[in-house]
Amino acid sequence: MAVRIKVKNAETGATVEMELEQENTVDEVIESAATFWSKDMGAYVLRKGKKVLRGGTSLKDAGVRPEDVLELIPDPEGG
Amino acid sequence: MGEADDDRFDRARRIGWLDIGAVFRAKILMIGAGALGNEVAKDLALSGFGKITVVDMDRVVASNLSRCLFFDAKDADDRRPKSEAICEGVRRLSPQADPVGIVSKIEDCGDSLFADNDVILGCLDNVNARVHANAHSYHVGRPYIDGGMEGFIGKVMVSLPPDGACLQCGMNRSHAKIAEMRFSCTGRDVVFHEPPTPAEITTTSVISAVIVREALKIVSGRKDMLLRNAVYYDGQRNVCEEFEVDLNPECPVHGPR
Repeated sequence: MAVRIKVKNAETGATVEMELEQENTVDEVIESAATFWSKDMGAYVLRKGKKVLRGGTSLKDAGVRPEDVLELIPDPEGG
Repeated sequence: MGEADDDRFDRARRIGWLDIGAVFRAKILMIGAGALGNEVAKDLALSGFGKITVVDMDRVVASNLSRCLFFDAKDADDRRPKSEAICEGVRRLSPQADPVGIVSKIEDCGDSLFADNDVILGCLDNVNARVHANAHSYHVGRPYIDGGMEGFIGKVMVSLPPDGACLQCGMNRSHAKIAEMRFSCTGRDVVFHEPPTPAEITTTSVISAVIVREALKIVSGRKDMLLRNAVYYDGQRNVCEEFEVDLNPECPVHGPR
């Protein structure tokens, strides 16, 4: 079953709509969104509300529902 | 001038829950002596921590000097080991401190280094070293506090074995893809990653303060006050939020040993 969600770019505030299968993983959403916004190579996490979603989890198992807004956030690795 | 003004730690002693005696006794392993390491070391020294081991393989270069309190132009000219320069700075701030510098990659240090310390602080610039520090801390039951930053964005996560998530639980495929890269702000010495990561001192100060604040809670026995998730800070958007990271049953750190 397809699920339409929005992903927000935490750095710019921009959003993109994505139509995905419930079997798609969080990792795949991260990669698609990062590619869409031509993000630099780096680590990112996807959050729903306060919760950071686990990379290998399917959208279904992560509890992602139609019309949810997920946020793509850079995970800073510099020191 | 009264007795209160003769005691270096009088004002800290007035914080009821803060156990200054435990702070003096605590053994801290700080991994990474870059911008974040400088600020963390400063906060440790001024907070009363004295038994500090600093591990870093790098040497000082001029591009460090805008963010590193304990480095100067001569250190850069001499290519002085960062851990050595930080230890000297800690002694200058806190005469009773007895810091030890180790010039090495953390992966080349023995496992006992983790067990020999009470709290491990990650001030690192790459995923591989973070994964190493996190896993080794977890396996010897030591709290691991990790900080990271890029530009005006920063993050701190506390792992407190055997409970809850660890740093690696919050990682995904994007972390695996960059595991070999170093996100150093040093510039020309960076081996695996160009261009250097954007960095500035105000974010470094915020992130280092959170790291040392959480260490103070741990050694004071106040785990009830501890940050149990990740804190994200974005100085551009004026946002500071706590995010939840769940324990990942597939995380290798939590698997059979």
